[in-house]
Amino acid sequence: MAAGRCARLTSLRLESNGEEREVTLANGTASIDGKKVSFTEIRRDDMLVALEVEGSIVPVRSARRGDRAFVWCAGHVFEVRRAADRPARARPAAGESHAGLLAPMPGRIRKALVRRGEAVARGQVVLVLEAMKMEHAIRAPRDGVVTKLELREGDLVEAGAVLAEIT
Amino acid sequence: MRIGTVAVFADADAGAVHVDRADHAVSLGGGSVAETYLSIPKILDAARTGGADAIHPGYGFLAESAEFARAVERAGLVWIGPPPEAIEEMGDKLSARARMRKAGVPVVPGTDGSAADDATLARGAEELGYPVLVKASAGGGGKGMSRVDRAADLSGALDEARRIAASAFGDDTLYLEKLLAGPRHVEFQIFADLHGNTVHLFERECSVQRRHQKIVEETPSPALDSPLRSAMGAAAVEAAHAVGYVGAGTIEFLLDSERRFYFLEANTRLQVEHPITEETLGLDLVAWQIEVAQGAQLPAAWTRGELAPRGHAIEMRLYAEDPFDFLPRAGSVLEWVEPAGPGVRVDSGVDRGSTVSLEYDPLLAKVVAHAEDRRRAIERALRAIDELVVLGVETNRPLLAHVLSSAEFESGDYDTGLVSRLPPLAPPPVPPAAWIAAALSLTRRAPSNAPPAAADPWEAAKGWRPAGALD
Repeated sequence: MAAGRCARLTSLRLESNGEEREVTLANGTASIDGKKVSFTEIRRDDMLVALEVEGSIVPVRSARRGDRAFVWCAGHVFEVRRAADRPARARPAAGESHAGLLAPMPGRIRKALVRRGEAVARGQVVLVLEAMKMEHAIRAPRDGVVTKLELREGDLVEAGAVLAEIT
Repeated sequence: MRIGTVAVFADADAGAVHVDRADHAVSLGGGSVAETYLSIPKILDAARTGGADAIHPGYGFLAESAEFARAVERAGLVWIGPPPEAIEEMGDKLSARARMRKAGVPVVPGTDGSAADDATLARGAEELGYPVLVKASAGGGGKGMSRVDRAADLSGALDEARRIAASAFGDDTLYLEKLLAGPRHVEFQIFADLHGNTVHLFERECSVQRRHQKIVEETPSPALDSPLRSAMGAAAVEAAHAVGYVGAGTIEFLLDSERRFYFLEANTRLQVEHPITEETLGLDLVAWQIEVAQGAQLPAAWTRGELAPRGHAIEMRLYAEDPFDFLPRAGSVLEWVEPAGPGVRVDSGVDRGSTVSLEYDPLLAKVVAHAEDRRRAIERALRAIDELVVLGVETNRPLLAHVLSSAEFESGDYDTGLVSRLPPLAPPPVPPAAWIAAALSLTRRAPSNAPPAAADPWEAAKGWRPAGALD
């Protein structure tokens, strides 16, 4: 019975740094986009401290928050998530998103330089957000018209809040 | 020194690392920074509660407040810092510039601050010639500072700088400085005792900056030769002497491409980057601050000029920030492992489980490498930053490694434009080990400090294999 259970494969579609991979783990062999890689876990006090991958020892540290894993490996840190959680896409510029302008961090609206209905040019400063005692210019990602802007000077916003929409 | 320590903390920071490391810790209560770390009465109350005899202001909140220094002395406590008058004279950038000119120390050409209205500053900018830098007289740390390239942009820049200066420093007085082409930022550590001895403890090269803030410092500076070092050191000592300085301080200079140097500003406290001086001189600067406050004389070897730096030291500032756009990042530290080994020192303020908030400066740690020469110090620094593990919060470590492995930094011939000239920082390819570790982590039983994600006990028992299974 145990054998039947353990024979089950763990298969995940993962995304990191704009790359996507199908990763399957089974009994000391990983398949990464179909390419087989043998590995051994090296643990200390149950904590993964290294992987032996194809005979080479690679020190690693990993941690997880919800559906995201953070991995330190070869002098870099990789944030890895299940690809289904968020479609892979190019890294957006600060404050830009597909739907509208997002707050890059929590802060206070220092200035609203445009009004709803106003035409703006790409690169034009739409809002000034103050956070950490510094001012950050939030610029229009494209030419268009401000279709949504309900914030006023002094309003507090959370990171990721939609500041304005330009269509 | 066998001196007990009392730390202070806002309630939100009860779990902070410094609270555990001190012998005692006293709460400043809750509320904003103004109600906690910036509240002079609360800090004095905490000193009384904790039984402190002296206050060391560190290098953050209130460290350069003459008002705080006076209040500490009035409360009958020892102030481990320069006299309040010296803080005042150096703290106001305009009065410091005037004082240095009088003492014969060269200053960056700029407006004198007799009037700081738009019209006067616009005339000043024309006289200096664009580009100019807008600066806040009460400023520091690059806040309220901006570059203006043409007359049309001046008024907007002045508005913004006044707003920032008013909210950050409570004083919106501005002045202009001529923007020097390709400047290096070189500072001298100074030290003075209560007996009239003032010395310099050599320089720190601070030209690796982003957003006018330092991220990598090294000593000795690759830009100085012996005669220039002597001339700048003498000017730094003169500057300190001119204001009756006592204790540790820093005189910052700009060095232009013609190797002319100009007084920039003075920092009347310990600097963030002081460890590189400690490493090359083998000294504990904080211990000497305390000794000087107790009335000790500086050692004769210092005053006779017999101190000599040994080897080369580099500091890297690890910030919780996006390495691409430098915006601060918050979060909790899921894993933290510091590099170690000969010549590696880490001064840190976080540990596994720490919370990084956007309330404070996002500096997490200073990683310092010391070696016999510059080439070896760079190698050691790169190895140390590679070995540092910080998970859960995005940091600037890719940028630090990028700077240290760049040809321009390696050449030693760089200036404050270094970071902007670096080739674009590309995300590294994800190695197989990272995909495997991530898959293991995402399918294993969640650690006790996180909500369990895999309810299937067979999924969770990854490290355990029933006999005979799968072989």
